[in-house]
Amino acid sequence: MTFAPEHDVPIPYMQRTRDYYLALGYGAYRWAHFDDVPFTPLGTPRARARVALITTAAPYQPGLGDQGPGAPYNAAAKFYKVYSDATAAVPDLRISHVGYDRKHTTAEDPSTWFPLARLHEAVKAGRIGALTPRFHGAPTNRSHRVTMETDAPELLRRCREDGADVAVLVPS
Amino acid sequence: MCHQTVSLAARHLEANGIPTVIMGCAKDIVEQCGVPRFLFSDFPLGNSAGRPFDVESQAATLELALRVLESAPAARTTVQSPQRWRDDASWKLDFYDLDKLTPEQIAERRKEFDVVKAVIKTKQSGA
Repeated sequence: MTFAPEHDVPIPYMQRTRDYYLALGYGAYRWAHFDDVPFTPLGTPRARARVALITTAAPYQPGLGDQGPGAPYNAAAKFYKVYSDATAAVPDLRISHVGYDRKHTTAEDPSTWFPLARLHEAVKAGRIGALTPRFHGAPTNRSHRVTMETDAPELLRRCREDGADVAVLVPS
Repeated sequence: MCHQTVSLAARHLEANGIPTVIMGCAKDIVEQCGVPRFLFSDFPLGNSAGRPFDVESQAATLELALRVLESAPAARTTVQSPQRWRDDASWKLDFYDLDKLTPEQIAERRKEFDVVKAVIKTKQSGA
């Protein structure tokens, strides 16, 4: 019998990030942690459900530096308000503003962090009922309070406005 | 930060009657927060929705997420995708690997991050 290597486990991102920033001379970040978790059973069978897609990717913003595949971390490309765009179009989204794995992924295929094309196919195949007319962009804010008190309520408002039955959330 | 953001958003949607599923790659951050339903792909950050230029991988990832959405029996349901990034798991050792950085490189990273923080502060004050 051969076991998998010790390091072949999900990466402990919180520990690695904590150690990294402590080494750089910064304090430790307090990650969100709750003992209660809400749960809403599916009210509509998924083959009839209207699905909202929520992403942390950012719209391309000309003039704000390199946002292309493999670009260094680009803080100027971050956004601070929830945005929405049509699911019927193909938006130009980028992820240069977040800390994805720049060594092991090239970020050349947006479908790896934004499954809009696959969701359209799922609608056609009858695996979900429909997509909402808009997808929504969630700002990645270090402040839990801003996310919980400002951005999450705004995402909820927009999902309700679009008649979403369920939501698929995809971090970049 | 992306994984924490969507975790907090999923919790809020769910508490207000909209069932959710997260597709993600940072298992510890999502589970530390606590979410209703989570499809975990053990892939490098940036590949929450499947392997690049691999429609089959992406479609299978989405389909599994939708199955988690419809069949999770209770909150904190995590399902791990059976897909592997590659047979050799050594890529997992590289993320923020301090052992590979010299003191000079660490000082350089600190300088770079100070610049990032200044940009963020400026943007936030103008947002």
